[in-house]
Amino acid sequence: MRRSIKPKGVANRYKLLSYLIDHIPDVIYFKDTKGRLIMVNQSHAKGLGLKREEVVGKTDFDLFPENRAERMFKDDLRVMKTGKPIIDKIERATRPDGVDNYASTTKIPYFNTKGKVIGIIGITRDITHRMQFEHLKEKRLNIEKKLEALEELNKIKSEFISAVSHELRTPLAVIKQLLTVIFDETAGPLTDKQREILVKARSNTERLKNIIDELLDISRIEGKRLKLDYSLVNLNDLIQESEDFFRKLAAEKGVDLSYYLPQGEVNIFIDAERIVQVILNLINNAIKFTEENGKIKVEVKILDDKVRVGVIDTGIGIAKSDLPKLFGKFIQVSHLPGAEKKGIGLGLSISKELVERHGGEIWVESEPGVGSKFYFTLPLSYTAKMLGKSVRENIIHFLKKGLSVYLINFLILNYKEFQKRITVEAHKLFNDFEEIMKAAGKEVFGSVKQNSTLVLDIQKGRCSVIFVKAAEEMVTRFCELVKERAKDYLTKNKIEEVFIAMGVSSYPSENKKASLDHGPKNLKIKEIYIGAEMRRYKRINYQTDVEVKLPDKTVDSFKSVDISEGGICYLSKKLLNTDTRVEIKFRLLRKKAIISVVARVRWIKELERLDNETTNRYKIGLEFIGLKNQDKKILIEELKLYYE
Amino acid sequence: MSKKRILLVDDEKDLTYAVSLQLEANNFEVLLANDGQEALEIARRKKPDLIILDLMLPKIDGFKVCRMLKFDEKYKNIPIILFTARAQEADKKLGKEVGADCYITKPFDSKELLAKINELLS
Repeated sequence: MRRSIKPKGVANRYKLLSYLIDHIPDVIYFKDTKGRLIMVNQSHAKGLGLKREEVVGKTDFDLFPENRAERMFKDDLRVMKTGKPIIDKIERATRPDGVDNYASTTKIPYFNTKGKVIGIIGITRDITHRMQFEHLKEKRLNIEKKLEALEELNKIKSEFISAVSHELRTPLAVIKQLLTVIFDETAGPLTDKQREILVKARSNTERLKNIIDELLDISRIEGKRLKLDYSLVNLNDLIQESEDFFRKLAAEKGVDLSYYLPQGEVNIFIDAERIVQVILNLINNAIKFTEENGKIKVEVKILDDKVRVGVIDTGIGIAKSDLPKLFGKFIQVSHLPGAEKKGIGLGLSISKELVERHGGEIWVESEPGVGSKFYFTLPLSYTAKMLGKSVRENIIHFLKKGLSVYLINFLILNYKEFQKRITVEAHKLFNDFEEIMKAAGKEVFGSVKQNSTLVLDIQKGRCSVIFVKAAEEMVTRFCELVKERAKDYLTKNKIEEVFIAMGVSSYPSENKKASLDHGPKNLKIKEIYIGAEMRRYKRINYQTDVEVKLPDKTVDSFKSVDISEGGICYLSKKLLNTDTRVEIKFRLLRKKAIISVVARVRWIKELERLDNETTNRYKIGLEFIGLKNQDKKILIEELKLYYE
Repeated sequence: MSKKRILLVDDEKDLTYAVSLQLEANNFEVLLANDGQEALEIARRKKPDLIILDLMLPKIDGFKVCRMLKFDEKYKNIPIILFTARAQEADKKLGKEVGADCYITKPFDSKELLAKINELLS
């Protein structure tokens, strides 16, 4: 037989109700008009540490401290007098053990059948946990608000630094020029003593300029306005550029400065100006903190997948306790001799930021009295790790067999940005690249069965082709072919006013020793890069009357355009939509021809507003559609006159 | 050969003073303007051989002055060197867009300035 609870009959229902009242953790009670507890549930008695019999018949004054009882009594009276309930009144009560308790109380008047209040029913619930949670939430909210305020403050600080630095430049420029006028004796002859003083004044304006530049860098970094401008650079060249300057500086101090650079080219994708800044900073520091007869070594080492630049000195070194804060902002390890000489301690912190933005690391190893070794690394290829696992395994497999291997990496730089600029979806793009490579391979190597493997890494924007036993000139031809085809392909599929600069760089085999332990002599690597900015057609700035007839029949006319055989680019206050068709008419100055052609809006760029400009200006790129062959010929001839 | 004429535009009078002394010492004739409007007037009236133009100018800013001259058939051949304390990339790009021939960041070296002037005038 199935047993079930069936609230049948008064007795049963009463039982159920009593059970509910007694087992609910809330305190429930009934008071008469005199405030006497007529009925309480178990939680009530338990909360007071009493038995139920000990509570019934008592008033709050018997059970609670007087001031609390007083409060409760007042509430009771109010409910009974007004006949209106008090709902969810939250009160704080400190327990005897000192812990804050929060309780929510609801009091309802109890009416008899004649509508007269004969008591109250009360329910009190411990909401301490809830309240703690609420308090926590509130605290967090407060902290968040403070954080926001801090961020705002930091932003204001950066902007302030930026504004002040700009403002400082102008008077500094004035001082510099005034000094020059005196120094050059434009303002009359100088004595040697005066000249000596002026040299000091000049070198201090230089110092001030450097400080302002550092401040600007920091404000740019903090305001996330620092943009890197990548290009393929030979790191050796970059370092050697400043060699003479530093050799002289070191010689003046009696310090021996030597360079250890790897043979051949170290081609990497970096913002050359910024990396030079890091290198200058490190060598400058080294010279500053190295005493006479000391030694400084500048070295470049090619590691597995990165280049490491080291500046190693036998200078005074850095105390262990100072090391962790060395790359922080406004840090001067001030007790060091030499530190008083210059700067506001931003150099290393800027260097750190610059190196890290390149995907590298910077660190220092130092011992007081022995010297310091500053190192930083830069990824060899811009797209993270040089060789993926499957590529590496493939290569090792062939190398183990004693076969020579050619690896061609096809890299897309700034891959994310790149994707934004082309209309082709990534998988399709890679399929197409694969086709291009296969076709190129077939063309170069012909019917001779060439052992090759193709590895695509769509995530990272990279294709790797491995050729086994391939002749150098064949591989070179292959690269050229791929480059050309890829370029054509991208030209066809791009939407922005883009890019396609391609570089082919080779790594000498010994560079790869660390990653591949088998016959590195048998491995050669070439890389094809795409993604840096370059225009499809050679463009020239051209001054002529141009009319653009817009779809609404209005005419936008101007005098200066950038023009190429593919289209024109001009500045306008009128915003157009991409793919809008317009009619252009312009005059070719030398050929004395007028060209009328339909064009469509390829891209639009909103220009930064100038200080006192109130309307937006746009740079608009138009692509000619159906330019007549004859016109095209004239146009190309005309353009040639300008860029040759 | 007659002296080449350079129009120097900057609202910092101490700077124009110092630079003009140097330019005169290098055998240039210097015309001065302290705001954009004056610059345009002098440029149009006296047709200088080269203009050195600050960007932040009262009345008409340097970019506009540059644009107005460079987009004008009569004056577009006058080389313009832009001067600015704001070395941001954006500035450089804008400098090119308004047709300036080159760009110098304040504070600058007199040698650098003179080299650019000579290059543009040759």
